[in-house]
Amino acid sequence: MPPRTIPRLFASLAAALVLSGVFPACSNNPLPEPLQQTREDGSPWKVRYAALPEDPRSLDPQVSYDSVSRRVLEPIQECLLEYHPYKTDPFELTPCLLSGLPERSETADGRIIYRCSLKSGILFHDDACFPGGKGREVVAADVEYAFKRIADPKVECPVLSTLQDYIVGLADAFEEARKAERFDYSKPIPGFVVTGSHTFEIHLKAPYPQLLYWLAMHFTAPVAREAVEFYDGKAHDGVTRDLFRFHPVATGPFQIAEWSRNTRIRLKRNPQYRTTVFPTGGWGADQDALLKPLAGKALPFVDEVCMTIFKESIPIFLLFRQGYLDGMGVGKDAFSSLITPARSLSAKYIERGVTLHRDTEASTFFMAINMEDPVLGKNKKLRQALSAAFDAKSNLDIFFNSVPIVAEQLLPPGLAGHRKDFKNPYGYNLEKAKALLAEAGYPNGRDASGKVLELVLDTTGGSANERMMAEFDQRQFEQLGIKIKIVENPFARLLEKLDEGGFQFATGSGWGADYPDPENFFFLYYSKNVPPAGKNHSRYRNPEFDRLFEQMATMENSPEREKIALQMNNILSEDVPHILNMHRSTFALAQPWAPRVQSNPLLEGGLKYAVLEHGTREQLRSEWNGKPLWPVIVLASGVLAAALIAINARRKH
Amino acid sequence: MKMLDQIWVQNLCVVAGYSLLGTVLWYGTRSDRWRAAWKRLKADVPGMGALFVIFAYLLVGTLESLTISAESGNLTLLQKLASGVPQEKSYSAPLAKTTLSVAEPKPLKAVHLLGTDALGRDTLVQTLRATRSALWIGGLTSLIYIPLGVLLGMMAGYFRGWVDDVVQFIYSTVAAVPEILMLVAILMVLGKGLGTMAIALGITGWVGMARLIRGETLRQVERPYVAAAKAMGQSHWKILSSHLLPNVMHLVLIKFVLGFSGLVLAEAILSYLGVGVPVGTPSWGAMIDASRSELSREPLVWWNLTASSVALFILVLALNFFGDALRRAFDPKRGE
Repeated sequence: MPPRTIPRLFASLAAALVLSGVFPACSNNPLPEPLQQTREDGSPWKVRYAALPEDPRSLDPQVSYDSVSRRVLEPIQECLLEYHPYKTDPFELTPCLLSGLPERSETADGRIIYRCSLKSGILFHDDACFPGGKGREVVAADVEYAFKRIADPKVECPVLSTLQDYIVGLADAFEEARKAERFDYSKPIPGFVVTGSHTFEIHLKAPYPQLLYWLAMHFTAPVAREAVEFYDGKAHDGVTRDLFRFHPVATGPFQIAEWSRNTRIRLKRNPQYRTTVFPTGGWGADQDALLKPLAGKALPFVDEVCMTIFKESIPIFLLFRQGYLDGMGVGKDAFSSLITPARSLSAKYIERGVTLHRDTEASTFFMAINMEDPVLGKNKKLRQALSAAFDAKSNLDIFFNSVPIVAEQLLPPGLAGHRKDFKNPYGYNLEKAKALLAEAGYPNGRDASGKVLELVLDTTGGSANERMMAEFDQRQFEQLGIKIKIVENPFARLLEKLDEGGFQFATGSGWGADYPDPENFFFLYYSKNVPPAGKNHSRYRNPEFDRLFEQMATMENSPEREKIALQMNNILSEDVPHILNMHRSTFALAQPWAPRVQSNPLLEGGLKYAVLEHGTREQLRSEWNGKPLWPVIVLASGVLAAALIAINARRKH
Repeated sequence: MKMLDQIWVQNLCVVAGYSLLGTVLWYGTRSDRWRAAWKRLKADVPGMGALFVIFAYLLVGTLESLTISAESGNLTLLQKLASGVPQEKSYSAPLAKTTLSVAEPKPLKAVHLLGTDALGRDTLVQTLRATRSALWIGGLTSLIYIPLGVLLGMMAGYFRGWVDDVVQFIYSTVAAVPEILMLVAILMVLGKGLGTMAIALGITGWVGMARLIRGETLRQVERPYVAAAKAMGQSHWKILSSHLLPNVMHLVLIKFVLGFSGLVLAEAILSYLGVGVPVGTPSWGAMIDASRSELSREPLVWWNLTASSVALFILVLALNFFGDALRRAFDPKRGE
């Protein structure tokens, strides 16, 4: 062996051994260090770790509409009203920035006035846009500014089209600004009257009780004009400022501390937050032990929220398993590992103290039937037969792991008017479907001339799952002896077809509640909402249904309103302008140190109520991420063995 | 493309396809070279084994391609033969007696050798039915790209000059466009279907054939028999069709067989990408695509992927073996 070979060999060995010792010493925690280690009083700094699928598109309260943006915006931007975190059946509104629920009155000329009063002493986040960097108090003019922004064409508020129908002067303000190509913020909107520093009125053209739900959405939340003007995206003194949509300045329990695009968003507790406290009741007796000690306490309970962006779902599951995420939604990839066939949490995770939660969204999914189609539109029995031939339960079993709920009616659970005992008279029943088909003039699927009835079902296409679902639908209806031709469309094209009416019946239709009111679902079948005016894709026209809709839409919730909702449900069930499928449900997991303390599907996470046991997390994380020694031993042995073989071979050579 | 959906058209296409193949082979038997090649091929055990496998696939594909009218609607012959195999509720493992669900396992109506898919269809039957898509794509595409490639290749090689320049320019341009991109673009415009997929593959697939035939024609035109034909005053058409074509046909045959396996794979890849066969048409690519989600299920659903992959693998392997055997048979020196 050459004299220099042995020192080299030993150097390599030493390096390998050092490396194998270094690796186990490294932490596998991919998350950043907290903004602080301890609070000012010396207690641990509490951080909640969450996952996001992508960057929020906009955090401008008058613009943000997608669920990811809303999820980030909710802890930053508070609204005038908010949903009670526990009262979900029916959903209940409570004051947030307002000191009480708006007071309603009616003028002689039929106008409706809502009088509102803001809580005093609520401050905007400390921010450079304010003099001295200190947030100022929220006043009625900030709410007025928000309403003006809704009407500003440059802001492009997505809910203007709805609100302008009811708020006096909103449509005119929009039109004027559109023509002038500039919104005049000095000009008042007649429908919004500031009556004091903290009081204001909203004037409506006609009764619209749903306004209260809009006050619980961030579109109507107060905005500081200084912030919008300050964060203009331009360079000032050599420094480029953010755009307002990336730098919200609001009143919520958290404010943005760091936003690394496409990587993570970190929120920091707002030290001035005084708006709300933890509710004092409304939960079930089984949650008393967890929630009673929190009742009436100041919010939020955690100091920091770290939202990391994961484009793929597998890392979320892996990090949750290691204890580096405090909660996760159960997606398809991890479903089988987490959920037992009996739809409970698997024993391994129960032992860890993880809890499983089932969330049912206020949504309904269905197939739209085109009532203008000459075959389906004019033949009610045929539509009923199709509805009775569709086995929604099997669909959910096969494609959704049996998690969602079979839809028996248009209104999802939790909404006023939803009847738990309501059964779709044309729910799955194949024998009944065949009989109805015969009554419809197609015995065994053939018309009088013996020709097989052929229908076209438009679906979204592309993925294997969508294709399989389309085949499932096809198979369901073809059990009747008819022929179903599937037309696969990209999603955007399917939406176009639904708007244009160029379809017989189509999958992929559904509606998620903007607010928990039956009007927000029944409007899908109101004849004045046939496209392009609205979303009545089925082109359903029924004067009786319209009359009931107009009557119900402006009523406050009451037994009489529920009665009307039931009548409307009955009409839709009998006319079958759609084939009902499901109300979407999902499973979510919470770590033992971060138990779920709110259960309202209309909240986007409810982070201000989130709790955390710092000590338990640290202890369990360390247990779950123990560093085994065997890889080191295996690696070192391998290197040693290889070296010995090499030396031996060299000597022989 | 709607015409291709008609049953009688499809049945006619099958008969026409076999007639064409028979004609080519009959035409070949008149050539001494083909007869000698056949003699050598018969002695080639792997080649004959591969041919046997191909015949088996052809038989299955033909059974699935011929449609008959039945009481319950139109059925293919294969569907008719498999009509005794019941459809289950959803997944079941090979030879299992209950459905895959552990929560609510339901007894199966029958035992399924290779299990069932998400919709409860017998995997073996689905795999066999998918043979049709592969063979149709291979056959229809060959009908498009072979005449196109042979015609342009021979013209370029025979006439040379500006004809050669134009043909070369066209195929260089076509070859410069990324094939998968072009295929997806054509399919997005024409829509999904076996016919449109064959057109898309035919438009993009003739370049290789044209290049090959051009090269061979360039070689052949230097031979004395072409000079003799010219000296005898025979027309260009006569020389091309009667003298040059028979002398390049063996290459066409080899390229056809080897290209067929590529087309079978292309069908699977396009279906995997979601731009392949329409909903309801069994295809190995679609089965492989569906298995992406099946592999993350618990318990694991492996049989659909295995069945479709094995079926695809065996056909492609057999085609490649047979293609190599043909090459050896026609060109024994190079083969050795």
